[in-house]
Amino acid sequence: MTTKKDLAKKCIWIISILVFLLLLLFFVSLNMGLVKIAPNAVLQTLIGNGTERDKLVLLEFRLPRMVLAVMIGAGLAFSGSILQAVSKNELADPGIIGINAGAGFAVVLFLFIIQGSMSALAAINLWLLPLFSFLGAVLAAALIYMLAWKKGINPIRLVLVGIGINSGFAAAITIMQLKMNPQDFMKAAVWISGDIWGASWNFVLVILPWMLLLCIYALYKSHTLNQLSLGDQVAIGLGVHVERERLKVLFTAVALAGLCVSAGGGISFLGLVAPHIARKIMGPKHQYVLPVSALIGSFLLLLADTIGQNILAPTQISVGIVVAIISAPYFIYLLMKTN
Amino acid sequence: MSILSTEHLKIGYEEKIIVEDLSFTIQSGEITTIIGPNGCGKSTILKTLARIHKAKSGFVYLDGKAIHKIPTKQIAQKMAVLPQSPDAPAGLTVFDLISYGRSPHQKGFARLSDRDKEVIEWALKVTGLEELRDQDVDTLSGGQRQRAWIAMAIAQETELLLLDEPTTYLDMAHQLEILKLLKKLNEDENRTIVMVIHDLNHAARFSDRMIAMNKGRLMKEGTAEEVMTAEVLKNVFQIDAVVVTDPRTNKPVCLSYDLIEQEKDMNNKNGIVQEPVLV
Repeated sequence: MTTKKDLAKKCIWIISILVFLLLLLFFVSLNMGLVKIAPNAVLQTLIGNGTERDKLVLLEFRLPRMVLAVMIGAGLAFSGSILQAVSKNELADPGIIGINAGAGFAVVLFLFIIQGSMSALAAINLWLLPLFSFLGAVLAAALIYMLAWKKGINPIRLVLVGIGINSGFAAAITIMQLKMNPQDFMKAAVWISGDIWGASWNFVLVILPWMLLLCIYALYKSHTLNQLSLGDQVAIGLGVHVERERLKVLFTAVALAGLCVSAGGGISFLGLVAPHIARKIMGPKHQYVLPVSALIGSFLLLLADTIGQNILAPTQISVGIVVAIISAPYFIYLLMKTN
Repeated sequence: MSILSTEHLKIGYEEKIIVEDLSFTIQSGEITTIIGPNGCGKSTILKTLARIHKAKSGFVYLDGKAIHKIPTKQIAQKMAVLPQSPDAPAGLTVFDLISYGRSPHQKGFARLSDRDKEVIEWALKVTGLEELRDQDVDTLSGGQRQRAWIAMAIAQETELLLLDEPTTYLDMAHQLEILKLLKKLNEDENRTIVMVIHDLNHAARFSDRMIAMNKGRLMKEGTAEEVMTAEVLKNVFQIDAVVVTDPRTNKPVCLSYDLIEQEKDMNNKNGIVQEPVLV
């Protein structure tokens, strides 16, 4: 039992702890990888005294990748929190309900058809890629809305329709993959399961402003999310323009998922698990849930990426698979609880 | 004085018309209950009054202004709505739930002002929930939970309160407790209350005015004495009712009733029914 003031204090504590853990993980992760760099060398490099090799590995490869992991983790957590609030459904996650698959489909379509190859991202594509990904996410969201939402938001129906849409888009991607050369085929396969690719500062810079804008907007709407999670009728009674507000926050969630997919491929479950843990700690108010779940999402994704990069080194396991291995049991647990 | 009225309302879902042409007036400061058999459209009417459901044609007027022309937040400052069995997210405390009732009076980030806190404290007190303020709503008993939702609605500080079956799923004592609370709000705070209620005797006991509906048509409107008659109940519910006066409240009560058309259940014929469950 906590009063309001305690809750705000608790939130600050939790955030501080999570930020500390994230920084710690960040530092550990910087040391690890194909090329091991000692903590001291990492510090030296970060303050500008490193060797050329360390600089290249740390600043040009490892750091942007980790920054992307943190951004994607936060973005997926925001997206999942919003979807769960709006659908009043604990099982909603942009990966599970097929939004990520829609975005993935659009990305593969874009890279394969328009560019003709899954590799080599040209500068202009860094801008077009997230846009395509976003459009794919919107397409999937529209399909889900038409098939699952209108007849009342039944949690199980939403998940079932999502699984259907997921496999539909997966099939479409497979068809495209069949036309690819072996190298592109592999690349697409890895990416679909979730892979932080094209990690470069340029890509970070392309995505970061949008990500920040959307997250700040979602935070600004946290009270609306609270009201919407009481159900449509209560929200209308409280003077919320339900249709309009729901569309706004859904758009935010879908756009965030689209951005995350363009950078990290099809990472599932993270948008489900992170908000869940956040709600377990902070209760259902979105002022607290959103930032805490974002930090949890960042931490988990960075952890998963670090594990995936190192555990079977030199073979890399794609981050999405590691996330799924960590979080799928939690999803099954939730599914059983819902029934 | 009229606070809420309807004019030639036609309500339905897609092709199905539920209410053909409905006009009535709710008087300020009164408790009005809408009664009628299942599927007669009472909940739909309440939802239309609450702007949750859009009418096919006709008008709802709030303070003489067409409701669809008033900004929804402005309506929420005049009229609070409590739908049937609402559902709170897991882990939401009573205090936080009630604080959401303040949102029509807030802007942006919804920080609670001193005035907001005052009102929330008052709502906690009136509904007897002070002790439970930090409890999660989903851990409360049915009666407590309903009180918490009513506390949220009254924290909205509106003249008008619309409630859809506020006593469903509650036992007899808790039903009475909720209705007495509403009556007290009506008397002490002069709140106008419109509610849908299933229990005829409760409706008669607590309302100034009753509106009896059947098949989307208004069958009878008036005081409890005018509406709770054997004849009206026969027309509205197809029951043969024995209506007497409650010696405690001096209000009409339906003491016993039977079905008019089919009398299959011979054992229960003329049996005294304390809590009329309307078929």
